[in-house]
Amino acid sequence: MTREIRIALTGNPNVGKTTLFNALTGSRQHVGNWPGVTVEKKTGRINRNGYEIEVVDLPGTYSLTAYSADEIIARNFLLDEKPDVVVQVVDATNLERNLYLTTQLSELRVPVVIALNMADMAEAQGDAIDRARLSEFLEIPVVRTVGTRGEGLDTLLEAAIKEAKTSPHHEHTVGYGDDAEAKIVTLVDALSADRNLAKRYPLRWLAVKLLEGDENVVSKVREGPASVRVQSILSSIDADEYEAVMADKRYEAIAAILPQVHRTDPKGTTFSDMVDRVVTNRYLGIPIFLALMWGAFELTFTVATPFMTAIDTLVVWLAELAVASIEPAWLGSLIGDGIISGVGAVLIFLPNIFILFLILAFLEDSGYLARAAFIMDRPLYAIGLPGKAFIPMLIGFGCNVPAIMATRSIESEKDRLLTILVNPFMSCSARLPVYVLFAGAFFGAQAGGVMFFLYVLGIVVAIVSAKLFRSTVLPGDVSPFVMEMPPYRLPTAMTSLMHMWSRGSMYLRKAGTIILLGAMVVWALASFPYGVEYGSAESFAGMLGHLIEPLVAPLGFDWKVAVALIFGFLAKEVVVGSLGVLYGTGEETLSEALLADPGLSAATALALMVFVLLYMPCVAALGVIKKETGSWKWTGFAVAYGIVVAWVLAFVVGHLAPFFIGGA
Amino acid sequence: MTGDLCPLALLSAGTEATVADIRAGKGMQTRLFGMGFCPDARVKVQCANRGSLIVSVGDARYALSRGIAMKILVGCAKGVA
Repeated sequence: MTREIRIALTGNPNVGKTTLFNALTGSRQHVGNWPGVTVEKKTGRINRNGYEIEVVDLPGTYSLTAYSADEIIARNFLLDEKPDVVVQVVDATNLERNLYLTTQLSELRVPVVIALNMADMAEAQGDAIDRARLSEFLEIPVVRTVGTRGEGLDTLLEAAIKEAKTSPHHEHTVGYGDDAEAKIVTLVDALSADRNLAKRYPLRWLAVKLLEGDENVVSKVREGPASVRVQSILSSIDADEYEAVMADKRYEAIAAILPQVHRTDPKGTTFSDMVDRVVTNRYLGIPIFLALMWGAFELTFTVATPFMTAIDTLVVWLAELAVASIEPAWLGSLIGDGIISGVGAVLIFLPNIFILFLILAFLEDSGYLARAAFIMDRPLYAIGLPGKAFIPMLIGFGCNVPAIMATRSIESEKDRLLTILVNPFMSCSARLPVYVLFAGAFFGAQAGGVMFFLYVLGIVVAIVSAKLFRSTVLPGDVSPFVMEMPPYRLPTAMTSLMHMWSRGSMYLRKAGTIILLGAMVVWALASFPYGVEYGSAESFAGMLGHLIEPLVAPLGFDWKVAVALIFGFLAKEVVVGSLGVLYGTGEETLSEALLADPGLSAATALALMVFVLLYMPCVAALGVIKKETGSWKWTGFAVAYGIVVAWVLAFVVGHLAPFFIGGA
Repeated sequence: MTGDLCPLALLSAGTEATVADIRAGKGMQTRLFGMGFCPDARVKVQCANRGSLIVSVGDARYALSRGIAMKILVGCAKGVA
């Protein structure tokens, strides 16, 4: 007999929920050492003891009163989807604050199991937690787990299955003092008139949340028959004050049991504190950050060079071989000129991409990312962005899609929208092949400087745009910065490499799907109608390009570039892939072919790189902008604004560049 | 706790204090309570940078911008900058 059980993983941010989820279900969801990595619910399935178990990983939250978009997801799932058992993942090194959420979960009357996670770290710093006594006090099973090493998973699942079967559940809640309790009793009485509500939620929990002034619960009650009485009770009280009193009572209740279950030495200044004194120092903080970024940039481009040359040579050799030896000739051309040249042009940049993702993984896993957000809060505040916007911006260097998702932890909707709108200007890894190709071909020894200029230009455009939007379409104050600083951890080579692989392999997958498709379509357009010279102006590609050419001619772009830009909308690497296909007839490399084209000068190449940096979010980024803003208007705005800015700046750069680079 | 109240933002690094009152907006107040900033909580300033702080509350460390650190009032019986 199989039965289904649904387990929800909840808990404070950065306590290791996703690490535990991955260990339980064998998934590979992204983890990192900063609060807010997980911003949507993820599900996985396992079979255990004849039970079909669905495990749901939720974004972290400090309480059941939600504030930001990711917290709302966690809270709504717990309230409305009614999991059979809730596993609260608790950071064993920070018991007191984690138990604050436990006091709220126990009011929900769902079976709860505590996973005392990172138990190894607590033990290493000399803490001893009496799990049996803690469990007795809370009337909740407490299981020791170490998510990173997969310890305690079996015991945890067994406890969860057992709890899921034991219903109805006891009610064990904090007492809030005579005054508040009296109010709760009258509220419960008033609420019992609303049968629909009473069926779905525990009345005491509703009453507590009403007393705290939880807006979501207030609106749940508003439409129902209990509304009038509840409003009259609430109108006579100050919810802020009750909330403070009740928070105090919860911490008091925790403080009453902690000394009996938790033995810990007083901790002085930790290693993390000492590092923080240096890296967040008033004078050193920003220089250290900039030095790290410069080092990251250098690593991305210099270390990769020998690998790139090797791949490049291989691609050219394979393409030539295919064209020369595959019969019939059209098939040889499709494989050689189309697939190998197109996809190969993009694969050359694999080394850069992997190094970039390795650096990002290190930033995320070490704990420095949260500090960088703090350091940048002041400069960002000055331009109208919250410090938290920094994390999505940095992730944007990898890919704008997860970056835009990461804005969910930004509390204010307006701040969040602003952060989403400027994110596409952060130069993602897909644009990197375009820079490496053109800067390498046209700027030789100055290629590094040119690429650095492009990254900086993206940041500057994001900043200026943010300032502009803040003073026009999205006026308002920036929300204040509050963020937990996780302890520093030295990432292991294994985890960093795994994170690099899981994000970098998406680039590979893209090369095998959308870029391959793009290359084949461009090849077909360049080969037909039947009988035209491959890639000539008479081919479909030529016709399409010439149609668009007038729009981009002022920027110095010819029809081939126009075609590449159109297909670059699918994914920006396709710009390189398309050019690889359109130029892919000789025995030279793509960069030699570009250099030999009389229509392309260094100034044009620079204008093209600027245009590709800014012109519009790719199809995947647009999809996520629509999803996160929920508005076609803002999505359209992002496209239109991007194209205008790209056109203007490419025009300016293209016409000014000759004065600086000697009109090459 | 004796003495006057002052904003957390004015404390210098190394200072310990007890939270007395929080005057932030509704949502932020809830968040701060959940993080452990509630009346009577002991806090210690780890790093201070012109009002932006890294503060420890229990075993957790939080970064706060000056704007929010001004709204957390602490009893400043000793060791005020």
